[in-house]
Amino acid sequence: MAKEMRKEIIELKEDVLKMAGLASNMLNDAVNALINTDIDLAESVKGNKEKLRKFDYEIEARALKTLTLYQPMAIDLRRIAAILKIITYLYRIGRYGKDIASVVKELTDTFTYSETTGIKHMWEHVSSLIEDAIESFDKAEITKIADFEERDDEVDQMRWSIFRETVSHMLEKPTHITHSAHFIMISRYLERCGDHACKIAEKVHYMVTGEHVEIS
Amino acid sequence: MINGKRNQKINGNQKEESNNKNKNDYVIRCQDINLWYDDNHALKDINMNIINNKITAIIGPSGCGKSTLIRVFNRMNDVIEGCRIKGDVIFDGKNIYGKNVDVRAVRSRIGMIFQKPNPFPMSVRDNITYGPRVHGLYDPKILDEIVEDCLKKAALWEEVKDRLKDSAIGLSGGQQQRLCIARALSIEPEVLLMDEPTSSLDPIATAKIEELCQELKKKYTVIIVTHNMQQAARISDYTGFMYLGEMIEFGRTEQIFENPHEELTENYITGRFG
Repeated sequence: MAKEMRKEIIELKEDVLKMAGLASNMLNDAVNALINTDIDLAESVKGNKEKLRKFDYEIEARALKTLTLYQPMAIDLRRIAAILKIITYLYRIGRYGKDIASVVKELTDTFTYSETTGIKHMWEHVSSLIEDAIESFDKAEITKIADFEERDDEVDQMRWSIFRETVSHMLEKPTHITHSAHFIMISRYLERCGDHACKIAEKVHYMVTGEHVEIS
Repeated sequence: MINGKRNQKINGNQKEESNNKNKNDYVIRCQDINLWYDDNHALKDINMNIINNKITAIIGPSGCGKSTLIRVFNRMNDVIEGCRIKGDVIFDGKNIYGKNVDVRAVRSRIGMIFQKPNPFPMSVRDNITYGPRVHGLYDPKILDEIVEDCLKKAALWEEVKDRLKDSAIGLSGGQQQRLCIARALSIEPEVLLMDEPTSSLDPIATAKIEELCQELKKKYTVIIVTHNMQQAARISDYTGFMYLGEMIEFGRTEQIFENPHEELTENYITGRFG
């Protein structure tokens, strides 16, 4: 039974990594589509919505089945508990990617270079947070998440910087208010993705050490 | 830096709880218990405290010494030839292995329930009144009160109140085990030792015994040996994990099953050995 359970947990972990790959790609492709005004890429991100939902649903069902059948304890229990939360955060990250992709069409030809530079810079930070959180989950290792609080603070500062810059831009060119509002929303989405990466890191910390921490 | 507020709070509560415990909170204190069956060193340097009005579970693989350990608590090992014990078991301020200890008195205060229900081959009523009668109580009215009270405490009254004169052997396995609990309660013990009390019962009877344990701990201290880790996790407040005669880890049940500190405990409860 224990052997079967461990096999199930390994397969669950592999599914979570696949879902993480999909969610990260959705976000990355959405930002790339925005920066490069690539409508086709944006459309492909939107097309992944259903695949992401299926991962979320199937991993949850499988994790609950594993809990019911094997009643795992200690690290096995903590791993499944972490997985059940992590998939929700991954789902949200992927959905924010889809939300960004949804506005790409409206923003083509109307944004300035400095706006995309800010978004790109912020995305690189958020992307590395997500990558490190997932790698920590994969390796069951917490070294890479030790500085997440500082890195998340930087992301927050970037978001406010983009906000101030975009408001100035709105005042200068009221005709650009709609697209500026989209940029404010995009920076907010990226900031939320950073928060979700931190929540994943919290669960990885719990999974590895059994101790709850708060990355705020 | 990761903010460990929640963790600090958890550790803080444990520390606070530990600080708040004094000797009066411990109904039994084991100090350096070592036990041998001839040359077989069955218990090695056991030190643990059993807390009042809590359920303490002892888990571990077969032959690790868990049944031997709870039999230490009411000197049941005394009857085994070749058994030697060193160390102190402090109960009510006195070492039960000290000189001039009345073993019968110890056993009347520390009752025991065994793996297999073992009702006496007599009526339901007589099973309950046997102990009080041995202790010199013969008033039928008082005995009736004891029968009703103990059967109610053992959650069996409603099922047998019209069958008190029937043979206890005719009861189901689960009912027999609850009758044994009622019988143990009839001499008003302070501690109940349960050695795998549900291992021969079906899931429904097991659930009833588990519910009963939760009720019993309001008045008694319960120490239970179980092979069933889920049962230990469900019903106990504290858990001790034993391996090869040693108490590897002892702590609050949620800590043992969610975040054990010892690798051996982790390996056992996750099914990596045992």
